[in-house]
Amino acid sequence: MSFRQKLLLLFAATVLLCVAVISASVYNTIGHSFEQADRERANAVAAQFRSEFQRRGLVVAKKVDSVAASETVQRIALNLNRSAPDSSGYASEARTLASQQQLDFLELVDYRGLILSSAQWQAKFGYPEATIAAAVPSSSVPSNMASTREVPAGAFLKREELPDGATLGLFVVRTAHVGEQPLYVIGGERLDQKFLSTLDIPAGTRVMLYQNLVAKWNPKSLLDLNGPAAGVDKIAPLVAKVRETLQESQGVIHWTPDAADAEVFHAIPLTGPVPNASNPGTANPGTVDPVAGNQQLMGVLLVGSSRRPLIELQRQIVSTAMLVGGIGVLVAVLTSLWFGARVTRPVVSLAEAARRVAAGDLYAKVEVESHDELGELASSFNRMTEDLVQQKDRTVQAERVAAWRELARRLAHELKNPLFPLQVTVENLIRAKQKSPEMFEEVFQEGTATLLAEINNLKTIIGRFSEFSKMPQPQRRPTQVNDVVRSVLSVFQAQLQQAQRQEKNRIAVHTVLAEPLPEISADPDLLHRALQNLVLNAIDAMPEGGDLTIRTASLGDRIELSVSDTGSGLTQEECGRLFTPYYTTKQHGTGLGLAIVQSVVSDHGGKISVGSAEDKGTMFRIELPRAPQFWQTGQM
Amino acid sequence: MRRIAYLFLAAISLLVAAGPVAGETRPRYGGTLRVMLQAAPNSLDLPTNTTPTTAADYWDLARTLSLVGDTLVTLDAQSRPHAALAVAWQSDGSARHWQFTLRHGVKFHDGTAASPAAIAQILGALHPDWTVRPSSESVSAESLSIDSDAPMPSLLAELALPRNLLLKRNPNGLPIGTGPFLVAEWQPGKLLRLAANEESWAGRPFVDAVQIEYGKSFSDQAIALELGKADVIESAPSASAGLPQHTGSPSSSSLPVELLALVFPANSKAQDPRVREALALAIDRKPIQSVLLKGAGEPTASILPNWMTGYSAVFSARADPERARAVLAGLPQPELNRRYNLSYDPRDPQAQLIAERIALNAHEVGITVQVSLSGAEDIRLLRVVLPSPDPATSLAEAARQLELPQPAFAAKANNPVDDGLPDARSLDAHSSDGRSLDNHSSDSRSLDDLYQAERNLLQGYAVIPLFQLPVATAANARVRNWAPDRLGAWNDPEFSLANVWLENAWPENVSPQDGRPRADSQ
Repeated sequence: MSFRQKLLLLFAATVLLCVAVISASVYNTIGHSFEQADRERANAVAAQFRSEFQRRGLVVAKKVDSVAASETVQRIALNLNRSAPDSSGYASEARTLASQQQLDFLELVDYRGLILSSAQWQAKFGYPEATIAAAVPSSSVPSNMASTREVPAGAFLKREELPDGATLGLFVVRTAHVGEQPLYVIGGERLDQKFLSTLDIPAGTRVMLYQNLVAKWNPKSLLDLNGPAAGVDKIAPLVAKVRETLQESQGVIHWTPDAADAEVFHAIPLTGPVPNASNPGTANPGTVDPVAGNQQLMGVLLVGSSRRPLIELQRQIVSTAMLVGGIGVLVAVLTSLWFGARVTRPVVSLAEAARRVAAGDLYAKVEVESHDELGELASSFNRMTEDLVQQKDRTVQAERVAAWRELARRLAHELKNPLFPLQVTVENLIRAKQKSPEMFEEVFQEGTATLLAEINNLKTIIGRFSEFSKMPQPQRRPTQVNDVVRSVLSVFQAQLQQAQRQEKNRIAVHTVLAEPLPEISADPDLLHRALQNLVLNAIDAMPEGGDLTIRTASLGDRIELSVSDTGSGLTQEECGRLFTPYYTTKQHGTGLGLAIVQSVVSDHGGKISVGSAEDKGTMFRIELPRAPQFWQTGQM
Repeated sequence: MRRIAYLFLAAISLLVAAGPVAGETRPRYGGTLRVMLQAAPNSLDLPTNTTPTTAADYWDLARTLSLVGDTLVTLDAQSRPHAALAVAWQSDGSARHWQFTLRHGVKFHDGTAASPAAIAQILGALHPDWTVRPSSESVSAESLSIDSDAPMPSLLAELALPRNLLLKRNPNGLPIGTGPFLVAEWQPGKLLRLAANEESWAGRPFVDAVQIEYGKSFSDQAIALELGKADVIESAPSASAGLPQHTGSPSSSSLPVELLALVFPANSKAQDPRVREALALAIDRKPIQSVLLKGAGEPTASILPNWMTGYSAVFSARADPERARAVLAGLPQPELNRRYNLSYDPRDPQAQLIAERIALNAHEVGITVQVSLSGAEDIRLLRVVLPSPDPATSLAEAARQLELPQPAFAAKANNPVDDGLPDARSLDAHSSDGRSLDNHSSDSRSLDDLYQAERNLLQGYAVIPLFQLPVATAANARVRNWAPDRLGAWNDPEFSLANVWLENAWPENVSPQDGRPRADSQ
């Protein structure tokens, strides 16, 4: 990855990270703010509910006071204090009184807690009234009714059984004392949608009341301002939680897959006195008394706030963040491009120059545009290349001197051998002419033959050197390396078969050729010559016979050609100097064979390596590019 | 002398003082008896077997028509037959052939003679399965015979029922009878004006007319009575009925002649007898009687009242909620979860509260009963008329109204008197003039038969009897000779409206202001 790309990514990531962090922060802050607002709204509605409950309680108390002070109730109370009271004639009185006072509920209850008259369910006469029965003195009640608490003084919530089912009401109890035995008047109003409609509900908020009348969730008991609310079963778990814990609870209700349609509901428990356990008809079997046995969940006030404003705001934040992020990324791209261009131009120039140096152009220079670190780096680079040029020159000069020395040594070595017989032959001719003229003719004949032979030898030596100096440039064409291998082996076929027959230095030839092997762009004659040298070397390396193995393989964009023998192998030092011209380990070698091989491989853009182990053999491995650009590039 | 003078003065004073008193107690003719009734009949026809009706309708029409017509015989509270249009009767041993001697010289209101042929025609039309004809066996006597293929041991009780009032119809469909009053004006559903029958065989009624206003609720009737706008009204029976009221208006309650019961229609969801049994055990009748019925009536678990049979207490009417719950415990859950609709007669002012109380009782043991007048009814709160003091006849009538199978009585020997059953339950055949007749009882069923028949009807809790109820009436203080109508009728051997007279009443054609005949009177 380039510096520019890294810079681009860094800029973009930085911008995106900043936008994301800011957006998330705003997102969460707004969410918390809305939650806080919801909670405050719920608390306000709950406070308003309690306030309205108290206010309505006072109104009901006033009405019940009027009923308790009425002539009818006083007459009934007086009758009940007689020695043999007859309580059978009052069944319809409560209804009349309730109608006069516009009360939804009214019951007249005797000192034993038994209903004398019920406005809401006239047939209930004679049944115990739970609240009163639980509070009347134990001496005046049947043994199964224990006096456990006092009659509530203020308004309280109570579940009321009606012919068409139970309901919830706000009740007040008053006592008419005419004689010793009190007459209880318990009156109330329904706690239903009418009550809810008196609350001042903030916009975006709705209030519902769940009347906790039966053990299981009953959707019909959930009232909103219009009566039983429809399609509200999703609230059931929230109500169940309040029923279980008797604590305020909160939950998000998703009405539809669209999150904006969801509502946050605060469920506030509404409690009332526990009904008398001895009155199974009025007890609610589904609830338990969580607070010291004197409170019971009568209802749940549900204050719901729409999440639409929050969700829409959050969506807007996300949209804005994405827009800002996008713009930021774009700015980051442009900035990084500009900045990258400004910062990386010298670096790119430096890298380009370094590539040229690596390719051999030691004269590559970098323009110094600034005086900062990059300018310093460029100056250092230029100094380095200058040093390299000087170093190279020195090296070339030294190598050239060394080469000349080596060449001179080899020439001296090669030429010295034929020159000595020439010198001896000429001296023999002179000596014969001077001392034995009769034998001169014979010696002359022998001497001239020797001279000609040695001169030919010198010519051969000079020809070889001339040939090495005249290595031709490759004439490339599509070449099948396997064909070259087969061609070379055919050259040595006779020699090898002869060795086979002698059985003293038998060499087994193994060819492992990849089929199909892609063609390469190469000069088949030069390859033939190089491979021929390698095979010859291998045969020479196995004077006692052995295995000669030639392999070809495809390596993607290259092919591999290897020649291995099982000869005595080479030392590490020998391997290092093997391709040096005129270096040889053989008695009569010129030391040019492997140098020619290396030259051919190098001219084809390939490379050659040698591996050897003592007494195990040697393997030459040539890699050649398939396409010419590789070796062309390699020539740079 | 002075002593004689003092005695004379004292005697004169006593005569002066006793004179008005004697005048007060002496019946007077004249005046219009104003009656208010709850029913609002559109015709003056008694409900037939196929006509749905209520107990109130039945009583009001029966009372009305009994003032216009007569039956051949009447029964008293002891089920003893009394002569009406028939003065004597006899039957053969099989009770298939009956012969009645008719009262001589009786005429219908249209002046035609109540001859055996006329009577036979009316009865024959009412009972196509009978053969009713003027008797050919005693040519001299005005008699008729009734024959049937089936034994008719309860024929006298049957003939005493209001549906066997001997009435003809005029071209307008109005009834023409032989009773103490004749129809003078009829406004369907509103008003019936009856005029005294000057030629009534039982003697002219004391009042000149009876004006009956229909369609008046109990409260309207009570107010009218208080304001002096009505002389006789119906009233809700109470324990204090029959006792002098603080208003001075005498009221009277009959013997229990109605049965308040729960019945289960054919399409009721409460088909499981265990549900019905649990419901029967759940109902606490006593508070309903003491509070809602104001002490009137008798809690019962039998169809027939104890005064008819004497064995009513055998059927326990005691509530037993624990046993009811135990019975319900054996029911499958779907049966327990059912909701039963309980309907009632909306015109019955007490019915709704009683129904609600029953629903409350049922709720206590775990049966959900909804009091409702809409939707399919599963349980019906019903008043059943027990129209005859004869228990077998009333049981059959009750079964018909309860849509139960007719009671099956064991086959009897031809002479029921000889079966060893209590004589008190047998009707004493007699003649009004004491002539000795074939002493054959019309009710030949034994108590055992009756008990078995009633028990069979109650088997499976097809009906849950709740209360035996009386019917009650109240009369203004100016109504004299008012007597408790023990059977709820206004023209029976023990009480007849024809015998009451009005205090300070004036004849119809005499002005109350000056005692002179009215100018517009005929």
